[in-house]
Amino acid sequence: MEWEQLDLNPRIIAAVKKANFRSAKEILCVSGPDLQRLTRLSKTDVQRVHCSVAAVVRKSKPVTALQLIRGECPVLEAGHRLSFACPVLDGLMRGGLPIRGITELAGESAAGKTQFCLQLCLSVQYPQENGGLNSGAVYICTEDSFPIKRLRQLITQQPQLRPDLPPALIRSRRFSDNIYIEHAVDLEALQACVSQRVPVLLKRGLVRLLVVDSVAALFRSEFQADEAVQRSRHLLAFSNILHHLSHEYGAPVVCVNQVTDVVDGPNPGRCDYGLVGSKVLPALGIAWANQVMVRLMLRRLAGQVQSDSRSSAPRKLEVVFAPHLPRASCLCGVWEEGVRGIPDDNSDLQPQGSS
Amino acid sequence: MHRTVPSLPLAPSMKVKLINAGFQVASDLTDMRPLQLCKEAGISQEEAVEVLQVLRDDGQPHQQRAATESLTALDLLHQEQALGSIVTFCSALDDALGGGVPVGKTTEICGSPGVGKTQLCMQLAVDVQIPVCFGGLGGKALYIDTEGSFLVQRVADMAEAAVQHCTLLAEDTEQRQALEELTVEKILSNLFLVRCHDYVELLAEVYLLPDFLSEHPEVRLVVIDSIAFPFRHDFEDLSQRTRLLNGLAQQLIQLATQHSLAVVLTNQMTTRVSNGQSKLVPALGESWGHAATQRLILHWEGLRRLASLYKSPSQMEATIQYQITVQGFRDAPDEPRTTPDSSAVSSPSGNHSKRPRMEDLS
Repeated sequence: MEWEQLDLNPRIIAAVKKANFRSAKEILCVSGPDLQRLTRLSKTDVQRVHCSVAAVVRKSKPVTALQLIRGECPVLEAGHRLSFACPVLDGLMRGGLPIRGITELAGESAAGKTQFCLQLCLSVQYPQENGGLNSGAVYICTEDSFPIKRLRQLITQQPQLRPDLPPALIRSRRFSDNIYIEHAVDLEALQACVSQRVPVLLKRGLVRLLVVDSVAALFRSEFQADEAVQRSRHLLAFSNILHHLSHEYGAPVVCVNQVTDVVDGPNPGRCDYGLVGSKVLPALGIAWANQVMVRLMLRRLAGQVQSDSRSSAPRKLEVVFAPHLPRASCLCGVWEEGVRGIPDDNSDLQPQGSS
Repeated sequence: MHRTVPSLPLAPSMKVKLINAGFQVASDLTDMRPLQLCKEAGISQEEAVEVLQVLRDDGQPHQQRAATESLTALDLLHQEQALGSIVTFCSALDDALGGGVPVGKTTEICGSPGVGKTQLCMQLAVDVQIPVCFGGLGGKALYIDTEGSFLVQRVADMAEAAVQHCTLLAEDTEQRQALEELTVEKILSNLFLVRCHDYVELLAEVYLLPDFLSEHPEVRLVVIDSIAFPFRHDFEDLSQRTRLLNGLAQQLIQLATQHSLAVVLTNQMTTRVSNGQSKLVPALGESWGHAATQRLILHWEGLRRLASLYKSPSQMEATIQYQITVQGFRDAPDEPRTTPDSSAVSSPSGNHSKRPRMEDLS
């Protein structure tokens, strides 16, 4: 606690020190009357103590929304998003992933969640004017091993996915060098990874995207059904670290989540997020949902979509909730070059059969 | 003024000197000059000045209270009605709340993720700025964001929609004149944002609120979105959390009454298991339920979004339906129209959404 920083009479500072207060946190957590009693200062003196300690703790003064939208405070409002590398998907997300905050991608197995994540790991490496963040990505695997072959395929096919970019730009990127892969076999390893190794990469500016694939695997396997409280506590601690890293370094965090089956009908004790008629809901309950800023669900549909004589099973990417997006969805397919959204007006690409 | 010298907030050695000099009651000291006190009590001139300062600081609230006359209930009613309320642009919710979110009180909005708490808060931050001639308060707003979910793009959309709404309602010259100044830029410039990353920063911000409010006396709304987020982890000592939350609630209600503002807090939901059944209840514990004056719970019922007024000293419990459109927080499309004699802003042309509901597109 830097006592000299405080704009206070030395007499007051002496009284506060004498009462054994060592940090700003301790002072702010004590109420006015309690502080009066402990330091024997008067009411106005105590108010002055609280105000000057608060002024030191406060990181930045209030700014207006006009300043934010004009891009005058990049720390609070980045003014750009992380592109999905597909104009249809970016349109659904009004530009792409928000720079700060946790985005969740939930879906059944084989829905294509890992494909999305790999695509983002490549997209982040382009310069900001091309929708990237000019930096690398950390990919934390908790389920299967990292799909390195698929990543190599995506890298060679980048010119096909991004025809809008000059080939020289794509060739100049050393994609594999900038993707840091971590495997976490249990919760302890996961915790160590995000609290020790990931911050180092972020601090050095080597990465600006964090992918956790998946969040559900370890939390669902290591806790029994009746250990909900402990699971919540660990989940909150974990998401708190992710949240702080995301906001401090301006790095989007993407968490892949599994889904649970909905066996009974509507249950007042469980939140459905307005997903009526869905047979699955994102896992980890409301404790996790409260930490997530943007929730996306990916569903694999029946039928086929065609593109240049290639075919793929269609997927539906739906925005379940986001502060800046309406509840909308779009269709997409998974091709050799990556995930591509299907524009609404392209009727011959509509899938046969429904979800 | 019957305070005895020993009960004053002074150093004990000081009190001993004063008592030895014959001062028993605080009123003995009030008329003393510093030099006089210095000679009589045998203390230095600096200390004498300080003693008198302490006396004055502590004495004032008592004197003020004695000076104000007692108010009749009718006076209080007039005062409350004069304070006004902030419309939400959802006429059903405004009716249930008795006009809108009340100024001078704290309102808590609870709900699951994605149901619309942040949307309602952003809408209120825009609506508080509606000019007085349109039935609004013409005030500014302070938005304290603890989750990082304040995205200015969305607020700009809502501001645009609000300006259009007022444009359609403008009837007389006074309103048209006010409209000329009501632009999206002006609305955004009157909305202040602070981001708090943990509960210590939030506590600090609330201690700094009185200074902020005296610098910006036109602020009529303070939003904390959400108050639950920073308090729901790394608190081993739950009793400390309860104490801090209670302290915050008290400070906020004091600010709400002293500065005539509406304080809106958002809270998360959590699962509570009782008798083998699980229910969704507001987070932060039982004692937090007493903190806010009014409590609004937003929840899903199938595809419908409902708002229930759960606790209010003046309004009846009610549940109404609302929707979130591109323009913001609005009435659900099949709600009955408002009566013609309600305020100009929530007029029958309240729901301008000619565009299809986004929910229908998926």
